[in-house]
Amino acid sequence: MENHRVGETGLTDSGPSSNYHHHAVLHGMNAPISSNFIHQNGSAFGFGELEEAIVPHGVELTNDEAKAPALFTRSRPSSATLAMLPSNWSLRFQQTPRVESWNSRGESTDSVSSSAVNTLPSNQLQPESPISQKESSSADHHQPFNHKPLQQQQLEMASDISSLNQSAAQEKGRGSSSSEKQPDAKTLRRLAQNREAARKSRLRKKAYVQQLESSRIKLAQLEQDLQRTRSQGFFVGGCAAAFGNISSGAAMFDMEYSRWLEDDHRHLSELRTRLHAHLSDTDLQTIVDGYISHYDKIFRLKEAAAKSDVLHLITGMWMTPVERCFVWIGDFRPSELIKMLVSQLDPLTEHQVMGICNLQHSSQQAEEALTLGLEQLYHSLMDSIASGPVIHEMQQMAVALSKLANLEGFLHQADNLRQQILHQLPRILTVRQTARCFLVIGGYNQRLRALSSLWASHGPPEVLISDDQSCQTTDLQMVMVQQSQNHFSNF
Amino acid sequence: MGMGMGSDPMERLVKLASESAVVIFSVSSCCMCHAVKRLFCGMGVNPAVYELDQDPRGKELERALMRLLGNSQAVPVVFIGGKLIGSMDRVMASHINGTLVPLLKEAGALWL
Repeated sequence: MENHRVGETGLTDSGPSSNYHHHAVLHGMNAPISSNFIHQNGSAFGFGELEEAIVPHGVELTNDEAKAPALFTRSRPSSATLAMLPSNWSLRFQQTPRVESWNSRGESTDSVSSSAVNTLPSNQLQPESPISQKESSSADHHQPFNHKPLQQQQLEMASDISSLNQSAAQEKGRGSSSSEKQPDAKTLRRLAQNREAARKSRLRKKAYVQQLESSRIKLAQLEQDLQRTRSQGFFVGGCAAAFGNISSGAAMFDMEYSRWLEDDHRHLSELRTRLHAHLSDTDLQTIVDGYISHYDKIFRLKEAAAKSDVLHLITGMWMTPVERCFVWIGDFRPSELIKMLVSQLDPLTEHQVMGICNLQHSSQQAEEALTLGLEQLYHSLMDSIASGPVIHEMQQMAVALSKLANLEGFLHQADNLRQQILHQLPRILTVRQTARCFLVIGGYNQRLRALSSLWASHGPPEVLISDDQSCQTTDLQMVMVQQSQNHFSNF
Repeated sequence: MGMGMGSDPMERLVKLASESAVVIFSVSSCCMCHAVKRLFCGMGVNPAVYELDQDPRGKELERALMRLLGNSQAVPVVFIGGKLIGSMDRVMASHINGTLVPLLKEAGALWL
């Protein structure tokens, strides 16, 4: 195969008079697909070669053009020749009717060039006819470009073009085509090839859509995993804000909280091992004091965060959803926690029992008072917004805003109550009992969070309740396995 | 119980605070004041409440309270047996650590 330089100099083996037309035609071939053929470094493409490739395949040219190479004319390329070109090329010559034959391959009608481009992935032309395959195997490969040798692609194009021409000739029944003289076998083969091409296009499209669908599902799954991981208290980069509608103050608190949770996990592990190691009380005291300081830290963090986003804290948005079910003014209800502890902390001396009961009672009274105060705040807030007709809306809003600001005070008092109770426990209980207390609380919270993740990922489990009222579920077994390393319940 | 005629607001405060076993300085629209009142009522205590917004010289007293507490929040402030207890968080802390009830009993506000 001779080398032909592509470009404005045209083809060297054609007559000078036809340079312009080659140029025009080459430019007409600047559709994305065809650019693969043309704009390759060091490779060349000549229409002359195409012409040579076409002719031996016995493409039926129009009767009056059969003897002349269609391209080498001064006028614009003949309709038959254009019919041989892939649709995106012929479009350049505003040859619209011919491209409709591509519709038999299942493509859309009007935006032919784009649809043809879309359906034929660039860098690939499927070898669709036995002829081109046979020929390409014996093709001379000394000018490869893309994945296939030039000649092979030319042959494939040629077969495309020839089959196109056949279908155009057959289906449009143009006078210039000699449709009546077509041997049936050949025509049928061409039609079959068209159908085959169309089928493959449809399959490719289907595969692409399926790929998109599975990607979408994967994305949803990833988001869910992310949410779950986040709810388990692991720091997930700065993506808290990515969940939308979260202030920077809230996002920062969430980050600090997840770090605090990691610390909590470490503290509790240490507490558990030291407790089981039967350390002296003084040593254990140090660890217990350390754990109380650890809780003091989260209260400080909450206090600071409340200045920027009290609603985030008070509504419990920083917790896992299941924990949020039990939220009382932004966190756990202390009296409920104390109730739980009493059952887990046997044996207690009578003095201790009294101390714990008093603590629970005082906590309940304090909680009731704060709840009533908060209720009054909510009613007052409702009144200030509900009243109408409003003459001075901005004033009304300003009043409502200043009332809303009082939430910070209530959150502060509620957290203060929780902190005071945690500090009171070691005054009533022994060091060992206090350590067990913290482990009970820690284990309980961890199970709450685990419940939340399980719910998020699996929903309610398939529960089989047998006669002895035992629930068997594989999900629960999974949780127990997961929790075995964080097993705080036995001590 | 009449409002004292002392010219110095601090003096007035002290005087008012000693006139009852439990004295709460409050503002009628303040929800935290409502909470502290409900706390004492829930314990069976009957506190004396001064609504500073309803006192013609209430502003002075508020300022005096702020100075006394070193706080931007004037109310609620609680006195038991004439002694300053403090704002809500002090009251809560003393209730939880068990010192509030003895104080109330000592002042004669609670009987058991």
